[in-house]
Amino acid sequence: METFLQQLVNGLTVGSIYALIALGYTMVYGILKLINFAHGDLAVLGAFIGLTVITGLAGAGGAPANWIVIVAFVLAVLVVAIAGVLLEFTAYRPLRHAHRLSAVVSALGASMFIENGIMLIWSPQTLTFPEGIMPETTFHYGSVVISATQLFIVAISFVLMLALYLYVNKTRFGTAIRASAIDQDAARLMGINVNKVIVSVFVLGPALGAIGGLFIGVYYRQAVFDMGWIYGLNAFIAAIIGGIGNIPGAMIGGLLLGLFSSLAGGYISSTWQQAIVFGLLILILLVRPTGILGERVAEKV
Amino acid sequence: MLKAKLLIAAAAFSFGVAANAAADTVTFGVQAPITGQYANEGQGIEKAVRLLAKQLNADGGLLGKTVEVVACDDEGKATQAALCGRELSNKGVFTVIGSYTSGATAASQPIFARANILQTSDGTAEQLTQHGYKLFFRNAPPNSAEAKFTGEYLVKAKQYKRIAIIADHSSFAKGLGEAVTEAVKAEGGNIVYNGFINAGSQDYRSVLTSIKSENPDVIYFSGYYSDGGLIRAQQEALGIKADFVGGDANQNVKFGELAGKAAEGAVIINVPAPENLPYPEAKSFLSDYNAAYGENPPSIFTLTNADGMRAIVKAVQETKSFEPSDVADYLHSLRDFPGFTGPLGFDDNGERLGSAFQAFEIQADGSYKTTYPAN
Repeated sequence: METFLQQLVNGLTVGSIYALIALGYTMVYGILKLINFAHGDLAVLGAFIGLTVITGLAGAGGAPANWIVIVAFVLAVLVVAIAGVLLEFTAYRPLRHAHRLSAVVSALGASMFIENGIMLIWSPQTLTFPEGIMPETTFHYGSVVISATQLFIVAISFVLMLALYLYVNKTRFGTAIRASAIDQDAARLMGINVNKVIVSVFVLGPALGAIGGLFIGVYYRQAVFDMGWIYGLNAFIAAIIGGIGNIPGAMIGGLLLGLFSSLAGGYISSTWQQAIVFGLLILILLVRPTGILGERVAEKV
Repeated sequence: MLKAKLLIAAAAFSFGVAANAAADTVTFGVQAPITGQYANEGQGIEKAVRLLAKQLNADGGLLGKTVEVVACDDEGKATQAALCGRELSNKGVFTVIGSYTSGATAASQPIFARANILQTSDGTAEQLTQHGYKLFFRNAPPNSAEAKFTGEYLVKAKQYKRIAIIADHSSFAKGLGEAVTEAVKAEGGNIVYNGFINAGSQDYRSVLTSIKSENPDVIYFSGYYSDGGLIRAQQEALGIKADFVGGDANQNVKFGELAGKAAEGAVIINVPAPENLPYPEAKSFLSDYNAAYGENPPSIFTLTNADGMRAIVKAVQETKSFEPSDVADYLHSLRDFPGFTGPLGFDDNGERLGSAFQAFEIQADGSYKTTYPAN
């Protein structure tokens, strides 16, 4: 039982990171019907920028002060949001009316560009985060161990997801985002600046992704230039499980995926962990192609 | 034109050496990657051989003969190694030290065997001693020796009762993990968990949580440092009290960085770095080496090759013979010769006996402290 609870704690932490990254996929897909394959690499860019800020301000030894950590998160979010907007302007906007396949190829190219850019700037080596970025206290319940870092990651993720949910559902601009997702032309006729909505999506998604990426770095204390691929893929699967294009769906999908892969790794086989996750994806696409919360979308004629 | 002149000069030189060899000198050959990817290793071997030869000559030579050294650069490549085989054979060397890589060694092995020349190499690939070459002696422990040592360490030395073994899917780590599993079973140890991680996946908590429920007293990991450091850190985070023992690929400064505070107390099994060798012979050779070249040997393999040469020298001195078969017979029955890298001997296949492996514990300051075998 305690083993099971421990696996739940492990899964929930990873799941909330997946959820944060999955939101970026789902928001872009919701508006543009485009899979932004560069999103995972943007998240990793956030981890590297955060690492540079932390080691730059705190030096190599000792735990960094709280304000340094906050500055690291803020700068990571800012830089990655700017990178997201640049990506939209350079890789996607020129192809807005081109065939959808062109945009996908452009997305894959952007992904490679960012990944290799990170490699050139920060080296192909595995980089290490200093200890003590978040409090290292641990709480023991029987043999179940929860660390303060895990609590922070889960709590901040939930707060951010709730904030995003409220922003999209309760504000004027959020309504514009939802309207653009449903029908861009109609939204434009209603006086909504759809381009502004698209840019906002490329700010919000990468900003959340940057936090997710920096969480990965803080949680595992490690950053490698090419880790965006596997985290991006997992977050993408999470978005599909929840129903791509649907914001609460991405949150639920991320958490479910984290729990599922943790339990699969613990109880079935860690060797087959990734294969089991892909199996789940195939199963969901067969049984419920629109995902858990996805609504049946009428084919546009 | 220039090339032709050089060839003539080289030929004249080699005849000169061969002529001398018959008289009052004996020639030791070095086949090593003196340039290329493994250049520092190859240069280390050549330097060590030249230093040992100089020391021998200062003591009156070998059976009264002056020791000369000729080196051939195989660049760590099999094609160059075959050329070196012919070149050194033509120069009439008595024995060859090297090469560094298993591939280059394998390429020159048959040539030296046919030319009746003794050879000693550090190449760790198992098959080097499986060809039946009677004059070949491996001076470094092969890959399987690490597993054997690890089994002894876990079961006999530390008396662990519940052993968990983790590998990744690389051929190296998988092979080592399986070999360690076999070795632990052979020692009668109790394995409570045997599993794999996916290297580079960063999250090993699900595997470790499963391991935790088995309540092991040690976790052995056969893979690489980048995963090993994280496993150690996550083990600590999950409150698993078991000791951590890592295979040789965990010996890297990154292991300590990734494991952070948890690194202290982790144990790594490997052949020690030259400066960590506990033996007095090694310490005095290191200071001689440092005095002669102003640097430390690049790796332990400099010293295993030096050990190979010293064993051959010892055999010549004991048998009072330069006849390769006499020397080989002596070496095949050699036991517990005090080598720089630990007690040294050879079995009938020329395989090194006597383990050079050590278990060392990571200290709070990141340095290593040898804990087994106790010296």
